[in-house]
Amino acid sequence: MAEPSVSDAQLIARALVTDDRHAFAELVKRHQSSVRACLRKLAAGNHALADDLAQETFILAWRNLASFRQEARFSTWLYRIATNCWLAHNRKRREELLGDRVDAVADGEDETMPHSDDLHADHARGAALKLDLERAMGALSESERAAIVQCYHNDLTHEEAAYVLDCPVGTVKTHVLRGKQKLKAALAAYAR
Amino acid sequence: MTTNNPFPPAPPAADDAWLDDLLVAEGVAARAVYIDDAGFTARVVEALPSAVAAPAWRRPVVVALWGGAVIALVMAMPTFFVELLGTADALLSLQPFSLASVGVALVTLLALTWGAAAYSLRG
Repeated sequence: MAEPSVSDAQLIARALVTDDRHAFAELVKRHQSSVRACLRKLAAGNHALADDLAQETFILAWRNLASFRQEARFSTWLYRIATNCWLAHNRKRREELLGDRVDAVADGEDETMPHSDDLHADHARGAALKLDLERAMGALSESERAAIVQCYHNDLTHEEAAYVLDCPVGTVKTHVLRGKQKLKAALAAYAR
Repeated sequence: MTTNNPFPPAPPAADDAWLDDLLVAEGVAARAVYIDDAGFTARVVEALPSAVAAPAWRRPVVVALWGGAVIALVMAMPTFFVELLGTADALLSLQPFSLASVGVALVTLLALTWGAAAYSLRG
């Protein structure tokens, strides 16, 4: 892909100094796909929720643009805001569900992942695997899912993931390891 | 939508490599897909909070207040300011450069600063 003629840093400066909404719109256009994809993964495929959170992410980015210190890439900073939006949404949802519903949801998540009997053809097997992976990801804890999404889906280093998740690098590694152990157990049928 | 299967068939491996391969392949496949904007950017820009605009009267009032403060200060200490101006004049008359050259230097410096800012923010 060709390098854009105007860098992210220049667009950020224009948006900050001259309150240029067109410059910010260009930033949104550049990063909307990756941010929405990240949130779709975090939201376990709920596209409507992911897009709402993506919109919230960019509005928060606009409001806090002055606090962006270029200590990370702009995309990484956006992932950090997006992940915080997702976590805040989950907290709010948990508060709403507090009580009997929480146990029911947790019990449901612990069930062994069902999978199709017809797994002989590679394509069918791949499709079923994709579906089961998505469901298994949905059963991980927030921290484990967020760590795996940042490291594998967004291809960030452990250091970048630690910045996004606002925790030490060692904690990221632990979350990734635990998440992978759970995924391995949930997808054990495919490893035979 | 491509018909290629981005997910490798799960190998009968005893270690974790198959899961790592699966996650990496899934990430690569996901990053290769571009989510069409489909009006998303327009919705975001529409929802951006508007900047808090300062009222029209603010600027002249601020200028008038500063002007009033300076005049009050000069009137309160007239001898101090007369002495200050006299000292400044004496110092400048001892220098090898004229007031005009100082002015030119200042204008050049301002033009360079403005030019550098305009260049860095160019579209």
